[in-house]
Amino acid sequence: MSTKRTGSVLVLGAGIAGIQASLDLAESGYYVHLVESSPAIGGVMPALDKTFPTNDCSMCILSPKLVDCGRHLNINVMTTSELIDLEGEPGNYKAKVKTRARYVDPAKCTGCGSCTEECPVKVDDDFNQGLSKRKAIYKQYAQAYPNAYAIDKNKCLKFKNAKACGKCLKACQAEAINHEMEDEINELEVGAVILMPGFDAYDASKLDYYGYGKVPNVITSLEFERILSASGPFGGHLIRPSDEKEPKKIAWIQCVGSRNCKNDHGYCSSVCCMYSIKEAVIAKEHSEHDLDTAIFYMDMRTYGKEFEKYYNRAQEEQGVRFVRNRVYELTEGEDGSVKIRYALEDGSIQYEEFDMVVLSVGLEPKGEAVELAKKLGIELNQYNFCEAKPLTGINTNKEGIYVAGAFSGPRDIPETVMQASAAAGEAQALLSEAKGTLTKAKEYPAETDVAGEIIRTGVFVCHCGINIAGVVDVPNVVDYAKELPGVVLSTNKIYACSQDSSGQIKEAIKEHNLNRVVVASCSPRTHEPMFQETLKEAGLNPHLFELTNIRDQCSWVHMDEPEKATEKAKDLVKMAVNKVALAKPVQPVKLDMNHDVLVIGGGVSGMTNALNLAEQGYQVNLVEKEQQLGGIARRLHYGLKGEDVQGYLNQLINQIEQNNNIKVYTGQEIADVNGFVGNFTTTLTDGQQIEHGVTVIATGSQEYQPQEYLYGENHRVKTLLELETEIADGQLDKVNNVVLIQCVGSRDSERPYCSRICCTKSIKTALKIKERRPEAKVYILYRDIRTYGFYEDLYTEARQKGVIFIRYSEDNKPVVENVEDGLRVTVTDHVLGEPVEIYTDEIGLASAIVPPVENNQKLSKFYKVPLNEDKFFLEAHLKLRPVDFSTEGVFMCGLSHGPKNLEENISQAKAAAGRAATVLAKDQITVEGKSAVVDKKKCSACGTCEQICPAKAIKVDEEEQAAVVNEALCKGCGACSSSCRCGAINVKGCTDEQIMAMLSAL
Amino acid sequence: MQKLTKEIQDTAKKLLEENKVDLVVGFAKGSLPLRSTPYFARTAEQAEELVWNQFCENNLANYLKKREEKVAVVAKGCDIRAIVALIKENQINRDNLYIIGVTCQGMIDRNKADELVNGKEILETETNGEEIVLKGKDLEQKAKVEELLYDTCTRCAYGNPVIYDELIGEEQPAKEPNFEDIEKFEALSAEERAQYLAKEMEKCIRCYACRNACPMCYCDTCFVDESTPQWISKRANSAKDNLIFQGVRVFHQLGRCADCGACERACPMGINLSLLTRKGVKDVKETYGYEAGLNPDDKPVLSDFETDDPQPFLMKE
Amino acid sequence: MAYEPKIVAFLCNWCSYAGADLAGIGRLQYPTNLRVVRIPCSGRINPLFIFSALRNGADGILTSG
Repeated sequence: MSTKRTGSVLVLGAGIAGIQASLDLAESGYYVHLVESSPAIGGVMPALDKTFPTNDCSMCILSPKLVDCGRHLNINVMTTSELIDLEGEPGNYKAKVKTRARYVDPAKCTGCGSCTEECPVKVDDDFNQGLSKRKAIYKQYAQAYPNAYAIDKNKCLKFKNAKACGKCLKACQAEAINHEMEDEINELEVGAVILMPGFDAYDASKLDYYGYGKVPNVITSLEFERILSASGPFGGHLIRPSDEKEPKKIAWIQCVGSRNCKNDHGYCSSVCCMYSIKEAVIAKEHSEHDLDTAIFYMDMRTYGKEFEKYYNRAQEEQGVRFVRNRVYELTEGEDGSVKIRYALEDGSIQYEEFDMVVLSVGLEPKGEAVELAKKLGIELNQYNFCEAKPLTGINTNKEGIYVAGAFSGPRDIPETVMQASAAAGEAQALLSEAKGTLTKAKEYPAETDVAGEIIRTGVFVCHCGINIAGVVDVPNVVDYAKELPGVVLSTNKIYACSQDSSGQIKEAIKEHNLNRVVVASCSPRTHEPMFQETLKEAGLNPHLFELTNIRDQCSWVHMDEPEKATEKAKDLVKMAVNKVALAKPVQPVKLDMNHDVLVIGGGVSGMTNALNLAEQGYQVNLVEKEQQLGGIARRLHYGLKGEDVQGYLNQLINQIEQNNNIKVYTGQEIADVNGFVGNFTTTLTDGQQIEHGVTVIATGSQEYQPQEYLYGENHRVKTLLELETEIADGQLDKVNNVVLIQCVGSRDSERPYCSRICCTKSIKTALKIKERRPEAKVYILYRDIRTYGFYEDLYTEARQKGVIFIRYSEDNKPVVENVEDGLRVTVTDHVLGEPVEIYTDEIGLASAIVPPVENNQKLSKFYKVPLNEDKFFLEAHLKLRPVDFSTEGVFMCGLSHGPKNLEENISQAKAAAGRAATVLAKDQITVEGKSAVVDKKKCSACGTCEQICPAKAIKVDEEEQAAVVNEALCKGCGACSSSCRCGAINVKGCTDEQIMAMLSAL
Repeated sequence: MQKLTKEIQDTAKKLLEENKVDLVVGFAKGSLPLRSTPYFARTAEQAEELVWNQFCENNLANYLKKREEKVAVVAKGCDIRAIVALIKENQINRDNLYIIGVTCQGMIDRNKADELVNGKEILETETNGEEIVLKGKDLEQKAKVEELLYDTCTRCAYGNPVIYDELIGEEQPAKEPNFEDIEKFEALSAEERAQYLAKEMEKCIRCYACRNACPMCYCDTCFVDESTPQWISKRANSAKDNLIFQGVRVFHQLGRCADCGACERACPMGINLSLLTRKGVKDVKETYGYEAGLNPDDKPVLSDFETDDPQPFLMKE
Repeated sequence: MAYEPKIVAFLCNWCSYAGADLAGIGRLQYPTNLRVVRIPCSGRINPLFIFSALRNGADGILTSG
């Protein structure tokens, strides 16, 4: 490729994956076109109630990302749009994007909702899964970005007959609605494309024995999410949609549209076990009486990080019932109940009635996405998912086109987010030469120095159309504000957030020499940055501003009490005026940034990460404690999809060694660490010091050394890794019987987590043995087979090829004994209910993946990053920040994070690179500056603040005998300030004086 | 008592002579009966002045903060709890401190003695084991020491120092902390409690003797003296502000108060201050199983967070 | 006139304040007696703020974070 590459990326799909990838790219120097087919970004997450395994509210954790993404200067959000064609080559694509007319101009629409109140047309609300109605002019969900309405052309009366309606036009004082709007086609130049169109839920009505659509009170899991949601059709009140009765008994049916070869859905949908447990647990929480919940399943697949503990808690503490079975049929029972006919493992047929049954529907690729992929020549697998190229995590068959999230296979949110960052990482590496060429930065006029000036406050009270003015007496509030101390201007605005209002505020600042501004309108959470922008454009420091919320927290919640609401609005304005009078300019803090990287761990994860960052142009120091690179992969021979792991590994090591940007240190460990993001100094055991800006921990894990099943006593008992080497060496080519035992050292009281890869690994091993010696008998003794995703195909294949699966339970483990010429395994079979004896030549133990505890504890202290109970590293957020630590500038990937297979580790390593690049791309570290400040004279150096600070940003300085704040790390939470007895600590932008001034307005 | 005095003097002399410390902080005979006074001995001769008796009520931890020199301190159980708490807060450098721990049976409350003799002037006292003789003009009143002890001392469970470099005196029998006084207060209705506190707070003259006597109150600027922002009025005429002063003091003492009673002993108006501080002590003990100043190595309880911490304040129906 | 208490709420910007916004979006109606002070984190709440609010005439305090 001779042409220069283009520094922008097209991200297709604005679910959590698209949002994450866009933010990663935009923050690391690339312009992003985020193309989304629906009218709002967010994808499926906004529709979910809580998320496993943290039970965080889905919307609550998503919304900060929505705002960041929506407001980002370098992300061009294109809603109601689709990619229709793509030409060119990696680094230089021309993308044709069609934007369907929305009939509402998002630049003018303020999201006030007056139009929707007037609209006479009621439509099933897709967002609520049709459980409630919306109007023909609608916003996808309450917190949607863009915060703008759209018209459903097929339902709007005006499109059927131009004279028929037009009520919305009258209601909209912002004049944002235009029924004449036309579809547009834009051609965009982009360097790379990331496909993240998400998934569709399986249509449960295709399987008539589940009765969906026929038997009342059989609903899907997505419908159930909406029922649970506080913003859902029933306000979070757990009732049956059919008769609004509170259910006392709910069942979940697993694998609806998954693990079903007859229906061409042979794969496992990976997420349903966990979401069903979560739904059962949350349903119990929502229910005022004792709720009986039962999950009907085949294998419980809680293989992810912290999932097994969630499962155990649900079972033991929350009393969720788990029924291992096969469901035959759901029929209508009495009083709207649902009757389940099912078979237990022993073959006995059972019946049970429930008030409501939730079908745990699986995931399938979106039809449009499949069409698009075919058009672009992207290879799809047998299920029409765009499975990534082996051992790439996220690469498609086309260079420069990446795939992430559920389109490449069913996966949960953390893995989706991980892949999104990984795809961003790959795009960053591909386009590194064009970094920063298309991104924009805004220029502002010089800031006016207001120090020593008399307070001159301007107050702007917003009508928000009728949203505020319909309840609150705005002119009254305006007059009231005129009399408040320091106020020199008080006026009203129809929409304070509109373009022309912004211009008027800027003019008023100049005309009246305003040095403080108060806007009384809506929530600072959504609008403060916008108004602060206006101040900056007018040459005022953005912190000389207060936004007080007289809409969301006043007019909207006191609609029937206009007088009292007006009084409240006055109080709120007075509080803001008092607070802003004491506001001082806050300057962002800038610190120098070292752009080098330290990667700890030279396994596949560490190497993949190092290579990506080196390709991005950063200097990487790669530290490995062994003498050789490679890590635990040196013991792997066969990938789960049949890849040649050793060949891959050698090639990777070769690439590392050839790369001029990578310096490798073998036989070294970390001896000491100083500093923080942008300025780390790490000392190695031989005394060498490395200065670096970010740290990536990729220290891996180990194979558990079994204490059970005669391991170490009888040479025929081996771990899976040992067995793999023997197979590769041909030592098992004449074997007759092999028994593979699952969950050795996993899922027990000592290690209550699932090691995730062993089931698939064992089945792969069994198939390898069968391939080499078809007549060999291979037994797999298991507790649950956890071949998630497409690995389910391997399970199917193994059964077809005669691998024998016998389930045992934790309290009745197999017994291994020495006998002449071999070994005897006794296991109680669950189908027969009787002990079975197997005489075998070899035993393979699927032994757990265990963290190197001491090493992890050491690094945990050095880099101030936490470990979980199992002593794996613990990320900043299990759901949305899977490779970050809350300590800035430190990232992780691979087995140090938890058990994962090679493919997943590679993906995570790229994700850590994608995330690290967002830090590395900055010239300097810049923080907003609303940090804690210490008055040294008052400080008695007691150290309470140091103990309390969650960001580890404050420390007692021995010399000074006072606490010192590291502004680069301080998040401005103020916990130090409120715990300081001596009053020595204050918080910029929210000082004690300001809070007192607000309280004195009461 | 004579024996203890002798032992303290000998230890102090030895430490000073061998230059192990520059200063010994202890008690000397007071100028009035029923009183001992804090005393700084810098030479072996001065160490001869040191005494130990049942009037050594002051909390000497107060004199040890932010000292550069090497210091020895004669300290009873409650003093040492305060010392431990102060070590945690970087106010005392343990490396420069030599603790002469003295076991303690409690200190005598002058007010109780005065009451016993109906306000007659006591000029001299004589202690014989568990008995004390109060002498004066036309006065010779015998009393049991136990009956004259400060209330704080009778409830104290830490007669034996928790840490020390040298221990003087006989080990005291183990006791459990006693919170009967607080339980009684808690049993009152909200209104009764408010009334009681309002009555007590009306007495306050804002002399801040309580604050100055407290070893844990060491801020350079106390919040009551702040002017930006001015949290409360600086005058004593509002019982409500007086209560805020004491209330915030209790907040500041949570998990730190060694329950030595110095605040209450210092109060010239006889306000029942330990009621407030001890309510804090009791709540912290009940909620977190934590008592201040017992273990130099643990983290102060309110600076620490465990996910399984009890959070009863969140659970109350 | 019936007794109308004044309540001061200290709400964390990231959760409870957002929750109060959501109550607005959902048009949930509640009494007007509440005055909200938005703070960067519930950790910002100094016990003195609570006393000060009471001193300034508040009858009750809601802290949430």
